[in-house]
This record gives sequence, structure tokens and C-alpha cells, in this order.
Amino acid sequence: MTDAATADRWIRWLNTMQLVLAGVLIMAPTVWMVLSSFKPSFEVTAYPPTLIFTPTLDNYVELTRTTPFLSYALNSLIVTAGSTALGLLFGIPAAFAVSWTRISWPAILTLAARMAPGTLFLLPWYVMFRQVGMIGSYTALILSHAVITLPIVIWVLLPSFDGIPRSVFEAAQVDGCSVTRILWRIALPLVASGVAVSAILAFVFSWNYFLFALVLSNGDTKTLIAAAFNFIGEGSTQWGALMAAATLIALPPLVLAALVQRWLVSGLTLGAVKG
Amino acid sequence: MSDTTATLTQDRQKLEMSALSAPAVIFTVAMIAFPVVYTIWLGFQNFSSTGKQSFAGLANYSKLVSDYEFWHGLWVTIALYVLSLVLQLVFGVWLALVLFHAKRLPGIVRSLFISPFMMPPVVAGMMWLVILDPSLGAANYILQSFGLPPSDWLASPTWVIPTVALIDSWQWTPYVALIVLGGLQSLPPSVYEAAQIDGASPFKTFQRITLPLLLPTIVTAAILRSVDLLRFFDIIYITTQGGPGNASNTLNIYGFRVGFEFFNIGYASALMLTLTAIVFGAVLAFNRLRGAVAW
Repeated sequence: MTDAATADRWIRWLNTMQLVLAGVLIMAPTVWMVLSSFKPSFEVTAYPPTLIFTPTLDNYVELTRTTPFLSYALNSLIVTAGSTALGLLFGIPAAFAVSWTRISWPAILTLAARMAPGTLFLLPWYVMFRQVGMIGSYTALILSHAVITLPIVIWVLLPSFDGIPRSVFEAAQVDGCSVTRILWRIALPLVASGVAVSAILAFVFSWNYFLFALVLSNGDTKTLIAAAFNFIGEGSTQWGALMAAATLIALPPLVLAALVQRWLVSGLTLGAVKG
Repeated sequence: MSDTTATLTQDRQKLEMSALSAPAVIFTVAMIAFPVVYTIWLGFQNFSSTGKQSFAGLANYSKLVSDYEFWHGLWVTIALYVLSLVLQLVFGVWLALVLFHAKRLPGIVRSLFISPFMMPPVVAGMMWLVILDPSLGAANYILQSFGLPPSDWLASPTWVIPTVALIDSWQWTPYVALIVLGGLQSLPPSVYEAAQIDGASPFKTFQRITLPLLLPTIVTAAILRSVDLLRFFDIIYITTQGGPGNASNTLNIYGFRVGFEFFNIGYASALMLTLTAIVFGAVLAFNRLRGAVAW
């Protein structure tokens, strides 16, 4: 065996070790959360912490018994689905128009809105929604979360629309198709996968968003994320239920992200990097 | 004759295009632009405890200059920002290099790597709250089993900022890594081949070739992270609410509390506008830098 080959093998082994190390660091906390959620209550707070135990669903049962977890989950679903639908409804035509006309300020406007701290809008929203008696309404929550979903939809879809050859549209125009018709009948089917990715990303980030629901929801419309705060308030003896709640809250975005992981990267950077 | 028809179609097309982007534009103006203008106006108002409103001029802003909590919040924001950004960029580039040399990544591995930043920051806060518990947490157990002293982590005024930076870095380093990985994969292989022929060591190749070529991508990652890090909120609100004391009271947390706990809407508006100016200032500065390192 040559020296170069030995060195090569050594480097490859070193790289694998680093990959394993990174994997452990990334996964360990999540694994610990899931494990803790299945521990019997006396073992969650055991010190030294235990790795081997008889798994139980007690924490999940406890969670649904002592908190309105399921109605929080339903609230989250309503707000997230509503804001994702609104984001798609406004975002798809806007992305198409920006891609076609190359007039990009509408897209930049929505992006700038995403860059400002949420508290900046939350103050006037609170004042305004209170005046019209909309604090705690699903409408207020869906509208506020659409501020998150709209730029995601537009910026994920822009490269997809840009990728359609112009000749396709020009041919349709010659045939007398209106612009709206070209969008729905010709362009949209061509970017179907982009729409799916943008919808999933919008859903994930809307689901994960904390700040708006913290102020704009009430006891009846509280989302899971905003309610997470209540689970913590119950004290350190409730770790099992807390970890069960955390696991369930994280599950929908993680499953969705896993489904489209291959296409996520370019979408996550809002087009800054071609994945 | 045909000219007029062409112009007519073009005009109609323009109109139709405007109609397509109108809902998004109107929505954004109604939800963002108008409220921001309203916030600017609120920043010049004074709300008394009885709810009476009066014009305050620049009073909210002069209060800001002499408010110790504001300067403290600015310091916390910047310390957390710099620490988190450095951690995430350094480890992100490292992780990207490791992933790059692993060549093919099965989908499941990729899914696991993106899992931290796809989960809600609130959940990350919840899980680390349990792991970092000063008396019963797994983190201190691991430290002690290596003979290291335990830490109070989030409960320690000295360690709370590094600890929060650590939690955020756990969540977002893989994100930075994936961006940098995208940059690595788009580098022309020819430059490596040339370096190899010249007999450059792997470290030299990285320092002299890979890193400079990657800089634009790294700056992009820095911009994307800066926007989130300067308005740090979720993890702190879930774990410490700005505490212990005010040790992790970032500007965003402070502004939120002034607005929604003390209901001092006028002063909170001034605080949030200042923070917004800081975020946009950082983005513009980095954008300049990106121009300077482009190739």
C-alpha cells in the first residue's frame, strides 16, 4: 500500500468520525426529549438520569387529561392551514407577475416585512384589533400569520416560475389566452412541486411562530406554541408531560420537512442560494 | 393599425399583471406598511396610566437615551448576536466541509440534520430547559462524570447569554452548514485540481482557495442569521423571560414587555423602531460586504 493511499484512508476515517460526532451532537437533545416523554414520572427526574426504563404512555395521557391539548392543536391547525392558504392565494399570482414582468418590488416589499421584528407590527395590530374587537379571533391570527407565509410562498416560487421557458407563454398568448388563464392552466401545473414545497415551508414556519399568538389569541383560540408557555409554568415535576407536549408540537413540522428535505435548502434561504 | 392592437394588448397585459400582484401588495400595505406608519406616530405619543393620549414630541426617544434598561438590552442583544453568529458560522463551515466530503448523504441523514431548525424554537427551548436544569439535568450529569464542575446554565446571570447562544447554535448551525454546503457544491472542481497538482496541503487549500471562494456564501448565511439573531425572542421568552434578573433581556424582549406587560405603547414603539433600524442597518452593512467579497 502506498503512503498516499494510507493517508487517504486515514482522512476518510477522520471525516467519518467527525460526521458521527456532529450527528450525535445534533440528535442527542431531540432523542433525550422523546425518551423523557416515554419515561414513568418517577424516572423523568431521576438523578443520575436513566437511559434504560420501561416505556409508558402515561405522560401523553396525563397531558390530554390535564390540559386542553387537543383543542390547542386544533387551533394551531386552523391558524396554520388558514394562513398557508391565504399565503398561497396571494403569493402564487404575485410570484407569477414578478417573474413575468421582472418588476420585483412587490416581492421585496413582502421580504422587508419579514425582516422587521414582529413586535414592530404587533403593537399597532394590538391597538387596531382591540378597537374592532378582533383580539382572540381566528381571523386576526390567520391574518397575522399570513405575514409569515406570504414572503415564503413568493420567494420559493419565484425561481420555479423563472425556470419556465418564455416561449411556452408566448405561444399561449398568440393563441389568445389571457394572463390569468396562462397562470392557472399552463404555469401552475408546471410548478406544482414548487407550490408543494412552498406550502410545506409556509405551514412549518407558521406552525412554529410564537410571538403573534402570544398576544393576539385568547383562552379559546390559543395555539399550541403559545400554550407551551403554560405547560412550563406547571413546574419541574411535570417534566414528562412537558416533554410529551414538546414532542407532539415538534412532530408535524418535522414530518413535513422530512417529506420534502431534498428541495428545502433553496427554499429556506429564500432564493439566496441555488440548492 | 396592428401597432395599436399590440399596444392595446400590452396595456391589457400590464393591467392584468398588476391585478395579479395586487392582493399581495394590498395585504402587505394593510398589514405592514400602514401599521409601521402608525407605530412611527405612536412613538411620538404619550399614554398616561388612565389611557389618555397626548403628543409627546421626542420624549420617548430622549427617554430611550437615558434609559439604563435600553442600553443594557442593546448590550445583551449585541453580545448574544456576536457570540451566536461566530459559533454558527465557525461550526457551520466545519459541518459543511464534513458533509461535503461524505459525498452522498441518504435522505434520512439529511432529514436528521435539518430537524433542529425545522422544529419550533419554542420546543428547542423546552427541551434544553430540561436538559440544562441545574440540579437534575442531563448536561450537568455529563459534565460531572468527566470531573468538570456543574453549571447553573440558564439560571446563572453570567452564563445565561452563552447558554442561550449555545441553544440557538444547536438549532441553526445545521442551517448555516446547508447553505455553505450549497456554496461548496457550486465551486468549480478545477481549482482543487490545480491546487493538488501544485502539492498544496489540505489546510493550505482550504485557507487559500476554498475559504475565499466561499466568502460570499458565508456572508449570505450571516445576513440570514443576523435578521433572526438581532430580534432574538422565542428561546429567551420560553426559558428565562429575560432573566435571571435582566441578564438576558434583549431589546426585543424588553420592547415586548414595555408594550404588553407595562402597556407603555408609545415608548415600546420607539424601542421597536430603534431595533428595526439596527436590523436593517446590519443587513445593509453585510450586503456591502457581500459586494466586496464577490468574485
